[in-house]
Amino acid sequence: MLDTFHMVQARLDATPHLQRLGRLFSETVLVEVDGEEIYLGFDRGRLATVTPGPSRKTPWRFALRTDGAALAEFWRARPQPGFHDIFGLVKIGRGRIDGDILCLVRNLRFFKEVMALPRAGQEGAA
Amino acid sequence: MSFEPITGRYLTVTVGGAPRRIYVEEAGRGRPVLCLHTAGADTRQWRHLMNDAAVTDGNRLIAFDMPWHGKSLPPEGWETQDYLLTTEAYIETVLAVIDAMGLDRPVLAGCSMGGRIALQLAALHGHRFAGFIAIEASDFQPAWYDIDWFHRPDAHGGEMGAALVSANISPHAPPVERWNTLWMFMQSGPGVFRGDLSFYTRDDSLIGRLGRIDTARTPVHLLVGAYDLTCTPEDARRTAAAIPGATLAVMEELGHFPMSEHPEGFRPFFLDALARMPMPRADAA
Repeated sequence: MLDTFHMVQARLDATPHLQRLGRLFSETVLVEVDGEEIYLGFDRGRLATVTPGPSRKTPWRFALRTDGAALAEFWRARPQPGFHDIFGLVKIGRGRIDGDILCLVRNLRFFKEVMALPRAGQEGAA
Repeated sequence: MSFEPITGRYLTVTVGGAPRRIYVEEAGRGRPVLCLHTAGADTRQWRHLMNDAAVTDGNRLIAFDMPWHGKSLPPEGWETQDYLLTTEAYIETVLAVIDAMGLDRPVLAGCSMGGRIALQLAALHGHRFAGFIAIEASDFQPAWYDIDWFHRPDAHGGEMGAALVSANISPHAPPVERWNTLWMFMQSGPGVFRGDLSFYTRDDSLIGRLGRIDTARTPVHLLVGAYDLTCTPEDARRTAAAIPGATLAVMEELGHFPMSEHPEGFRPFFLDALARMPMPRADAA
């Protein structure tokens, strides 16, 4: 899973419109997949650091917790209903979002598109 | 060069004792079909169907922007008002447009909050209509979010609203129409989406009224997209089950804005829905 988020980092580096959307976003986000913690350190729209956990010392603004099978479906070009959006994962009981939800909502388009960068068909997004 | 068949005009109606300047579009001839847009959007959601000769052949499609939406202005004094749509004001507005245009028992097609009010009208004013096409419509949906998020001075409510509702668009939707659909939300005025959501997420009065709907006089057909997280197929099934005689179709590859996000995918479902609605009586033609 760490490799996937390094790919997200590289694709975001090559996606100028997303960097522009996230230019005011400099926060740490926890993504937890099957219990594996990954801390995403955003800096003005770029994914500056991808740091494996576990960590009890890393403050984060909001967290997305899910499982690998759900994310695999989420990253298909046309996921099944419910797997097509991070809020869909929550709705069908395959995900949880904690922390400063308003911060997430204020940067929602940016974060959702960053999370979708591994999606099939996004290879050319760069 | 050729113009699209859609024409737009303005009319002024009275709602709540005060004038409202309403923007109305229409296309086609024949049986009137009044189309209601979703929250945070406007008549542009219906443009594909209004430009579709198979739909307008025998049907006069009419859509209008609710006050505060699209090209319909908010009421005088809006700058000090807190826009919160109510069931009563919504019903009054729809009936005022019908009266002003002299429509005789139109079919009412509404999506999302437009579908909700269609069912309210079916329960309370069914005799004014020929039938109801309730799209992504359910009895009640409480919000899991804070509607105040979408009207605040430090963020763009339209952009946040668009990002939120994008969860309801099917991955089968053509990208161009996904983004056109979201653009309308991004353009909605400050606090308008919040005010619509107040109606949609706080007023549960429809639940107790569904059993009153007389589908023998005015048929009710519900359409729901499998990718709709706001009004899920389960929500629509529950709602349809509470209306004796109502019918329901689940659209497997569509979401919450079917006429806007994926017009080609929605077309056969809408044509089928229209076919289920009665034609005008000969004496009223």
